[in-house]
Amino acid sequence: MKKNKLLRNVFFVLLGFCFAFTATAQEKTITGTVTGEADGMPLPGVNVIIKGSTSGTSTDFDGNYSIDVTEGATLVFSYIGYISKEILVSSGVNINVSLSEDVSALDEVVVVGYGSTKRSDLTGSVSSVDSEELTAFPVLDAQQALQGRAAGVVVQSNNGGEPGSPIAVRIRGNTSIGASSAALVVVDGFVGAAYPQAADIESVEVLKDASATAIYGSRGANGVIMVTTKKGKKGKMTVELNTDYSIQNVSNTLDLLNANEFANYQQAINPSYQQGPDNTDWQDLIYQTGNTGNYQLSFSGGSEKINYYVSGNYFDQKGVVVNSGFERFSFLGNVDADITDKFKVGFNSFGSRSTKDGVTTQAQSGGRGSGDVISLAYRFVPDLGVKDADGNNTINTVGDEVDNPYAIATETQDQTLIDRYRANFYAQYEIIEGLTFKTTFGWSTRNQTRGRFQPSTLITTAGGNIGGRARSESVKNSNILSENYLTYKREIGKGNLTLLAGYSYQKDKTERFEAGAEGFVSNSLGYYNLQGGKTPLIPTSSYSEYEIQSLFGRINYDYDDRFLLTFTGRRDGASNFAKNNKYAFFPSGAFGWKMSNENFLKENETVSNLKLRLSYGVTGNPSIDPYQSLARYRAIYAVAGDETVNAIVPDQLANPDLKWESSYQTNLGLDFGLWNNRVNFTFDYYNIDTKDLILGDSSAPEYVGYFTLNSLKNIGEMNNQGYEITLSTRNIQTDNFTWNTDFNWSRNRNKVTKLPDGNDIFLDSAPGHFLQNETHILREGEALGQFFGYEYRGVYQGGALPEGTAVFDGAVAGDELFTDIPDEDGNRDGVINTDDRKIIGDPNPDWSFGFNNTFRYKDFDLGVFFQGAVGGDIFSYTFLELASGGSNATKEALNVWTPTNTNTNVPSAAVRGKRITSRFVYDGSYVRMRNIALGYNLPKDVVNKIGMDNIRVSLSGQNLWTITDYPGTDPEVSYEAQNNSNANSSNVSQGFDYGNYPNLESITFSLNLKF
Amino acid sequence: MKNIKILLFLLTGLSIFGCSDLDEDPKGVLSPDGFFQSVQDVQTTINGTYGNMGEERFWGRKFSLPLMLRSDMVGIGDQGTAERRIDHDNFTVSADNGMITSFWPRVYQIIGGANEAIAGAAQLGAEESQINPVVAQAYFVRAYTYFHLVRLFGDIPYLDEPVTDIEAAKSISKTSEAEVYAKIIADLEYAKQWLPDTQPSSAYPSKATAAGYLALVYLTTNDFSNAYTEAKFVIDNESRFGLGLVADFQDLFDATKQGGLNEALFTIDFNGFRSGNYGQDYMPALTGIRANEFGDIGGGWSVAVPNVEVYNRWDGRDYRKSVSLDTTGVFDGVVDDFVNFPNYDSRNIQSAYIAKYARFTGQTSNGNGRGSEHNYAQLRYAEVLLIAAEALNEITPGTTEADGYVNRVRGRARNQAGTITNFPADVTPGLSQDDFRTMVLEERKWELAFEFKRWYDIKRRRLGDQVFGANGIEQRPNFSANRDYLYPLPNDELQRNPNLEPNNPGY
Repeated sequence: MKKNKLLRNVFFVLLGFCFAFTATAQEKTITGTVTGEADGMPLPGVNVIIKGSTSGTSTDFDGNYSIDVTEGATLVFSYIGYISKEILVSSGVNINVSLSEDVSALDEVVVVGYGSTKRSDLTGSVSSVDSEELTAFPVLDAQQALQGRAAGVVVQSNNGGEPGSPIAVRIRGNTSIGASSAALVVVDGFVGAAYPQAADIESVEVLKDASATAIYGSRGANGVIMVTTKKGKKGKMTVELNTDYSIQNVSNTLDLLNANEFANYQQAINPSYQQGPDNTDWQDLIYQTGNTGNYQLSFSGGSEKINYYVSGNYFDQKGVVVNSGFERFSFLGNVDADITDKFKVGFNSFGSRSTKDGVTTQAQSGGRGSGDVISLAYRFVPDLGVKDADGNNTINTVGDEVDNPYAIATETQDQTLIDRYRANFYAQYEIIEGLTFKTTFGWSTRNQTRGRFQPSTLITTAGGNIGGRARSESVKNSNILSENYLTYKREIGKGNLTLLAGYSYQKDKTERFEAGAEGFVSNSLGYYNLQGGKTPLIPTSSYSEYEIQSLFGRINYDYDDRFLLTFTGRRDGASNFAKNNKYAFFPSGAFGWKMSNENFLKENETVSNLKLRLSYGVTGNPSIDPYQSLARYRAIYAVAGDETVNAIVPDQLANPDLKWESSYQTNLGLDFGLWNNRVNFTFDYYNIDTKDLILGDSSAPEYVGYFTLNSLKNIGEMNNQGYEITLSTRNIQTDNFTWNTDFNWSRNRNKVTKLPDGNDIFLDSAPGHFLQNETHILREGEALGQFFGYEYRGVYQGGALPEGTAVFDGAVAGDELFTDIPDEDGNRDGVINTDDRKIIGDPNPDWSFGFNNTFRYKDFDLGVFFQGAVGGDIFSYTFLELASGGSNATKEALNVWTPTNTNTNVPSAAVRGKRITSRFVYDGSYVRMRNIALGYNLPKDVVNKIGMDNIRVSLSGQNLWTITDYPGTDPEVSYEAQNNSNANSSNVSQGFDYGNYPNLESITFSLNLKF
Repeated sequence: MKNIKILLFLLTGLSIFGCSDLDEDPKGVLSPDGFFQSVQDVQTTINGTYGNMGEERFWGRKFSLPLMLRSDMVGIGDQGTAERRIDHDNFTVSADNGMITSFWPRVYQIIGGANEAIAGAAQLGAEESQINPVVAQAYFVRAYTYFHLVRLFGDIPYLDEPVTDIEAAKSISKTSEAEVYAKIIADLEYAKQWLPDTQPSSAYPSKATAAGYLALVYLTTNDFSNAYTEAKFVIDNESRFGLGLVADFQDLFDATKQGGLNEALFTIDFNGFRSGNYGQDYMPALTGIRANEFGDIGGGWSVAVPNVEVYNRWDGRDYRKSVSLDTTGVFDGVVDDFVNFPNYDSRNIQSAYIAKYARFTGQTSNGNGRGSEHNYAQLRYAEVLLIAAEALNEITPGTTEADGYVNRVRGRARNQAGTITNFPADVTPGLSQDDFRTMVLEERKWELAFEFKRWYDIKRRRLGDQVFGANGIEQRPNFSANRDYLYPLPNDELQRNPNLEPNNPGY
């Protein structure tokens, strides 16, 4: 019955005519089986109704039904999440039906805070990502699979393709400066839980506007990601085995000088430079072909009363940088039981153990002995090998004295072990009809240990003759959550009323300690024998705890399936809020109008759905770490009389008025469906005014004498405005060929609207050894994190300065020429100093998009997924360092200015300070083919013959093709140096590139078995 | 009934967690509320100021290194080192110089700690005789720190109590140099009144420390009469204060011996243990020879290195020269001369290196000497003698008393590790006032070489045009007497408080 839908509609209309002329009707019993079109599995509980009547039945456990009808009647088969089918009863007695899933999914159930609703009843802005999209290609972290899948959702790895690197997900831009802008994650109702495996996730809902997020009150301002794990379905047990195997390589390397070129270049700087004996391509040495294996086995099923889903997963990655890798085991179990019709209980548990073998990348500093593997592979002299003539590791001979990257990668140890466990229990009871009480109790824990060892062979890493340095760190976190709420549903006239009210309590504790030692007798001791070190390092420990208790409620009212109203409110109290502001209230209201259900559109053949949504509300960002508002002293290490003595310093003053940040969000949305929802279009406009931003008060002079230079205050305001468009079309729908397209596009404009006293806030993100501060800036009227520095105007040719330009004091021909910025009176001082800096780049993209096409031809399918971001700038510390004279250089160095080569944009070969200039600002726009996948489902008859339900093989490629003008290795950069954090650097330090672990391109083979 | 049971069961969910009062009970975080309970707590707060002094942004490196580099006695070895350092040697410092912006907050944190201790002591209500001798250390620390600042910056923001209202503190104006000196003197007078005659260690200031600093402060302000009086007070009471000249000059710079010596009036101590940048001594690394195997500390970084003229102009018979300078290093197991230093690492230069810090760094030293056990004398008795001599010469030229003070210092220098030599000879009696002045400044240059004193001498005697001129050890054509006797105030601090403007002339 697979047909082009339009044709089918015409067909039904014609049938209607036929029906009119059909004569007498004859009673008979029709039987059949209803299956899902995609997997051929029987569907239990499908409604089978005779059109135009109220009589009907539903399918049983095995998808079978039986119904008495008169010939010529029409049977309507309907099932939530599937497209209903109408079938005319003709002469036969057997009608088997396969239902296809409703892609537009207006009736799909969407999980929202403390409940769920039909998509068509939503008043808020909610995007969904389904399991197929989440598992389109293997990912270590389910968050990575969200990239490009939902409008307004930006996903970024903290460190390129590093195995196990943290992932940041931002919804509708950065709503904060000083606090986290990361979305709140709720997994099966557990607030703040870790993501399960992508393959265990049924759906991900992204709650974006205040109407949807205000139910999470002080934690809702950054948006909420609702993750729902898979549950068992009634029916026989299904076993699934999914395996993916990928081969990975770095997507790009830099073109650097070889040993001869480098020696010439260095001799131009320092004539006595003597070329080393080797010619080494360090990038080649530290990169390898990596691979990833991902294996998942799940069992699911259920009876009338109980359903279950259990799965185990093993993930193993060998990184593309030697010695880096990641391994993880995890399991998930979901059991739900109906003890009576009214009483249900369920249990959900998740556990994992991961092991990350790290190599140092994106170092905070690359000064003496502290380099990282990637940036060193660029800057380390190419004329040395790994070992010198005596068999010792080579050390850089220009710039900072650092070990070679291969020695660092292969000889240091850095292992992080994380054990997670989460258990969540619920019980639900229907007290009277329509009134349900639900209680949940959950507990989660994370135990993390990290061991690091730098052997004595790394002379500079461990410092001369330290004899190896080991550190061991342990972090233990536990979290309990108890929530209790009542839901009441009632029909009132033509309307439906749903009420929700509840109480929630959550407590989180984290304790941490670290110890270390230096001077080990042997490098074989590693970090498991700290007592084997001669000199202990001062041990540190810390503890933090917070509690949050809340009352929350929601009213939903829909009238005549035309008008929808939603009001939510949450009152949060939190221990980390300051003394005078312990409680906060966050309300929201929303209105929806289903215009397509109005008489003037109801019968319209073209417009199948039209809904207008409007919402306004306040959400918060708790933004305050525990104890941040308290006055504090700090213990420091001090020596007097050669003895170590107890010592304290004044740390900060109290701020009893410190409070959460508040976002006031307006959302205007339009959902539009055409031709029976073959085309679905969603448009959202939002405006978010964030007030009371918590910032380190850098306006406080440093001479006040407190250790914390910038203590926190509610002193900023910011605005985010944007548009989001989602377009899903089913372009071709025939029996043998289908083509679907999903496109999303979003544009966010961020603007800092108020800073303390209107003053700029200067931020530092340069690696420590660059010795540069004030690299970027917060300025009223500008977006977050503008690059700030000198405007490069080419090479100074000596003699008179070109109009409007100047050089630094003492510059000679061949040095850098910069714009000389006039003072308020329009006068230029003719020399470059700190007054000549300006905004030289904006890291915020103008817009970003995701574009997915799925083609299906018979048993073959092809998916092509593009994702991109356009208009953001990148500042490359990598290129700045490579042009500084004290390192290897890019091929650009072959074209440096000399008295005989003056027509060039590259200054003369010299050692220069690593100044922030526009010379190292690049357009970071990119469009990337994230995934291309070709799949084949073995024919059903073949598969069934061997007792299987489904066998699927696919071959896919990730990140195989990227369009960008950025000359660095990868435009998705995320360097953060936290050397002077007067702001949460992940919000404001965007678009910086230094030693990023390279992005990976991979080829993946997948096999999915179902039986 | 069954329904009620289930309901009761569910309601236990609610009762597990009642309402919390949400008060924070910080564990592992120190609260100032009620912190000051005993005299010991005041000492702990004062110890915090010592801890900050031994940190990287003060005496570990950031504050102390520019003092060396600005003098004519120390230049830059490795030209690839940070520009912000080179700028101090070349007098190309700008208002965003990374050394200054970096040490500025730390210096004020030392002052903030002293103010906190003084305020904390006031609320204890303890007996004067109990608390004042302790809190007097805080007065000394405050004076010591402001004395550095006022010499480096001139007019500065001056605070003498803990800041409780940041808004009010934002708009203060600079306090004039003269007024700051008056406050320094008042603090030192208090310290001199209350500090004990002796302390268990020179890391804690004593009465003599306060008097010695008064002498130095007065000398700096050209109040020679008071300078002489204070110095004389220390000298006349040297046995009461347990002070004297150490027999062997070398012992002053041997980290394993410093703890037992009686020459220093105040030291910043390192003991080989470190926590982050606290207790980490960068001076052996900064002054050491790269690739030098001597002492087995991994060599140095060749950053702060005397111009070879220091070696050339220093009389070879002076024992202090061999203690102060390293003319050889050990490379590949073989001792070699400084002319060959660059052969072992291109960042070395052909010059004698500073030996006072890199030579004997102590037992726990490693990491290029960053784990040194050095105690850095901020004022030692030899300097007190030279202050007395210099001041007396300005009041009454040509006294044998003044000659005698210098002769004590020279006499000790003639003890070359136990062998008494005849160099340097005693002062020629009857020098004119000018000649004596020149002689005593030269004596300070050699005796206190590389001890962070020379720049202050150049400044207070306005020697810049002379010592950086054509005949100087270092030629620094960039040096401008109108600008370079003062540092610029950090420009970001001026932005935070425009009342601090204008910046010092020339910046």
